[in-house]
Amino acid sequence: MSNLRKSLCAGSALAALVLVSGSAYSADAPDISGTYWSTDYHAKIQIVGGGDLPLTAAGKAAYEKNMAGLKDGSLSDDARKYCVPDGLPRVLATPYPFEIIQAPPGQITIIYELNHQVRAVAMDKPLPSDKELIPYPYYNGHSVGKFDGDTLVIESAGFNEKTFVDATGAPHTDEMHTVERIRRISPTELEDVVTIHDPEYYSRDWQARFTYKLRNEVRLEDYVCGEPHRDISMVSGVRRP
Amino acid sequence: MLSSLRAWGRPALLAGAFLLLAWAREAGAGPNGPLPELSPDSATGWLPVGDDLLPPPSGPGPVTFDKRYPYIDNGAARRARTQPTFRVADLTNPILQPWAIEEMRKANEEVLAGKVPFRPRESCYPGGVPGFVVYNLIYPNFFLQGAREVTIINPGGPELRRVYLDVPHSAKVTPSWYGESVGRYEGTDTLVVDTIGLSTKTYVDNYRTPHTEALHVVERFKLVDGGKMLEDLITLEDPGAFTMPWSAMQRFRRVRQGPMPESICAENNVNPFNFYMVPIPQSDRADF
Repeated sequence: MSNLRKSLCAGSALAALVLVSGSAYSADAPDISGTYWSTDYHAKIQIVGGGDLPLTAAGKAAYEKNMAGLKDGSLSDDARKYCVPDGLPRVLATPYPFEIIQAPPGQITIIYELNHQVRAVAMDKPLPSDKELIPYPYYNGHSVGKFDGDTLVIESAGFNEKTFVDATGAPHTDEMHTVERIRRISPTELEDVVTIHDPEYYSRDWQARFTYKLRNEVRLEDYVCGEPHRDISMVSGVRRP
Repeated sequence: MLSSLRAWGRPALLAGAFLLLAWAREAGAGPNGPLPELSPDSATGWLPVGDDLLPPPSGPGPVTFDKRYPYIDNGAARRARTQPTFRVADLTNPILQPWAIEEMRKANEEVLAGKVPFRPRESCYPGGVPGFVVYNLIYPNFFLQGAREVTIINPGGPELRRVYLDVPHSAKVTPSWYGESVGRYEGTDTLVVDTIGLSTKTYVDNYRTPHTEALHVVERFKLVDGGKMLEDLITLEDPGAFTMPWSAMQRFRRVRQGPMPESICAENNVNPFNFYMVPIPQSDRADF
């Protein structure tokens, strides 16, 4: 083989080798790292199977109170006004890009451009008990993860009650538990199916599904509340105020 | 035809070499051996030794306090059983251009008149570069070492910087709070970060030292003291704001305080003593 051919083959082989892999460390873990961006946005969460949220009487009362408060201004949507984290599952509906980084070792880190939110998912560790989590409620909860085949399973609990389930004000309690199953459904698409367990406000567990396009050419930008941000008008369903 | 193929052969080899480097990083290795272990696990972070830029080993250095008005931080005040003070900048530092001195003089006068000086951390604004490395004293910085990017996170805020590895700067950079950072590893102990495109909304330090959009910052994060400390040697050039290039240092202690907590700056952000403070960022109209 000529040197020229060797060069071409070596370059191509190495390119192929690297292009199929993008994670930082764990050679044996499935690779879901990358930058992702949704192509559609829904202010009201879309539940799997359709229909309305299975609210209990207490959940319905809380939802109506939230909606009325948001409408008359007595209740602030702090995720939009002060850019505090959206909380789960609302953050999954973000119309801005986000990044999954499989680092540092023992952690998967999800960084959302919207409100510069960071979720640290501790891998292969048990979720702390409710007793341990109660003193430290987080907007986006405390999260642990593990791989089930090619699917990243994230369990979260220990939420505060300052967030909504969606932009319409759907409520949750601080006892909400969520389980996300995140996987590549094609080489360029990511799926996150989240199950919500919150028996005080919901009569049964329910699910919502979000999909995103792989957009590794996009660099996440700084996000400061009240400033102009990137154009998201191409995300279907986004309505500029 | 042959010359054309030869022309393709070299780029293919170069691409192969670059991709081999990226592939090696997948396994935590660089061309000269293992990469600096800035984040060997989720617990390891780097706690700043202070929130002032330190003098460099030699040459012109950063602005510090006016000797007539010594800066006493909360910890020093507690130890000395005295009152803390706010920063009043030393305007005699020869690095400063006249307009920068005038801008800082006004800020000094406000402090001396009793106002609380602006500090990014206290009003939940991004720290900029190199302001990020003196952002606060409480939280360690965490380094996420990816194959193509290093993300540096200060959980207090949180604040994030992104360093793109082994790529040149973009031809056109829109100024932003953290600018555009590109970087490379040097040997087994150093990460070099080159930053441009910094918005003039940021300051260089907590003394409110201003800069222009031409600011160019080069940082060398180096593991020292057997990996117990991380040293950042910072060089700044900005002929519009500074009369000469100058340097500064920051040092961080290796701590095991992770995993990084969620600590939202804008949560419960109130003004209990009715001080004049720059309000936290907020939006009158949601983006979507």
